[in-house]
Amino acid sequence: MSIAFWEVSKAFGPKQVLENVSFDVETGQILFILGKSGAGKSVILKHIVGVMKPDKGAIIVDGQNVTRSDADGLADIRRRCGMVFQHPALLDSLTVYQNVSFGLRTPQFARTLKRPMTEAEMRVRVIEKLALVHLDADVLDRLPQELSYGMQKRVSLARTIAPEPRYLLFDEPTTGLDPITTRAVNDLISELSRKLKVTSIVVSHDMASALEVANRILVLDQAKVLAWGTIDEVKRCDEPLVRDFLSETLGLSLAEAR
Amino acid sequence: MSAQGPLRRELATLLLAARLLGQTLAALPGSASRWPETLQAVVQIGIGSLPIIVLATVFAGLVVTNEISWHMDQALHTVSMIPGVTGQFILRELGIAIPALLLVSKVGASITAEVGTMKVTDQIDALKLLGIDPVKYLVVPRFIATVIASACLTLIAISVTLGCALVIAVIHHNFSVLEYLNALRPYVGVGDVFRALLKGTVFGAVIPVVSCAYGLRCQGGAEGVGSATTNSVVTSTMAVILLDFLLTYLFTSVF
Repeated sequence: MSIAFWEVSKAFGPKQVLENVSFDVETGQILFILGKSGAGKSVILKHIVGVMKPDKGAIIVDGQNVTRSDADGLADIRRRCGMVFQHPALLDSLTVYQNVSFGLRTPQFARTLKRPMTEAEMRVRVIEKLALVHLDADVLDRLPQELSYGMQKRVSLARTIAPEPRYLLFDEPTTGLDPITTRAVNDLISELSRKLKVTSIVVSHDMASALEVANRILVLDQAKVLAWGTIDEVKRCDEPLVRDFLSETLGLSLAEAR
Repeated sequence: MSAQGPLRRELATLLLAARLLGQTLAALPGSASRWPETLQAVVQIGIGSLPIIVLATVFAGLVVTNEISWHMDQALHTVSMIPGVTGQFILRELGIAIPALLLVSKVGASITAEVGTMKVTDQIDALKLLGIDPVKYLVVPRFIATVIASACLTLIAISVTLGCALVIAVIHHNFSVLEYLNALRPYVGVGDVFRALLKGTVFGAVIPVVSCAYGLRCQGGAEGVGSATTNSVVTSTMAVILLDFLLTYLFTSVF
């Protein structure tokens, strides 16, 4: 397996955000993490890349324990992971081109490639990734504040996939996007998984997207795992929150959703 | 809410500021590659702060010289020591503290707001994930720029304030420029300028580190950025005043 959570707990002061959370994702799979706002979904992603440390439990990425990794180990894990944040998180002072090519200029990426990327190669790669998220090359020289929120999110997605990471972590990737771009992002996640065996973990409120592209679904509520399994297994779950998510999405009554 | 929570947060931020200072100093030798951005920041901070600092020190110079000369005239019935007393006061306190405090409110607040906004919009986490050390990318250039700008602005502020003191002495107390400079020379020397520069440099080092620490610990959206900026300005102001006292004490008792 590529990413595993074992009995992970985390509290911010008196507030428990994760309690004995366990799951695993196989290479090339797409896991959707669903739950209400504040359920601890985004915290899971930040634990995977070592931005946060758990109070208890272990997080394993490619057999490497994230919680016990030193700075070099963490840098190694982060090199393999790309994360799309809830906010676009673009660097305000840099143009779209500079933002998307940012990860291609780092020494870590040069080590992966075994040489620094040339400016011409970078330009080709940046335009290619922007096209994947339905953006034209005419945005290259624009600053993030000159773009709409939806466009900023797409640039952020292009920046994340530019270094072609093995793991993609999405924090509400389709929030604020129109239905066509939402569809494009879902298709992109599926395509990366199918063609390049990229493993994706997607934090979302969007059960429709989950049912469309996920291999596995995990539903979180009040810091605990309510449901975990394949789409069919989750559809059979009796937890009221899971039933609510399903009935809202499928437009069916609770009984029909079973 | 108990007072322990905010107090603990403040202490944690000060500890982070101390750690940031260590990390920044350690990262200085490798910062040469970012000289273009650093130079741009020096110009931005230095030139950007120059008008307000010149304006403030002009008026401070005029007020202080007027006050000191009035008191000398009334109490000692002599104005012969105006150049020496105002010169020492300007070189030891006024010409250093005013630019430092203005840098806190202008540059320090701006740094905290900028870094804080980056923190709450996940830009800092994005940097980490792209393999960039936020200390090297954000703190080091601002540290170098503020240190250089602060030292230069201190020298400019001292010159402007001394110039104003000279003007008041010439217009109101019938000094000639030469008389003023001759009366000033026994009281101030190169050592005073060196100590003023040292103080300006120390203040210039503390302001960006404290401001970045508040920005990096910022939480909770726009309200959090506002709160972090306010706390940063208050703490930096207190740090400048405390360090001013400690350095003055050190200079007068040791040197």
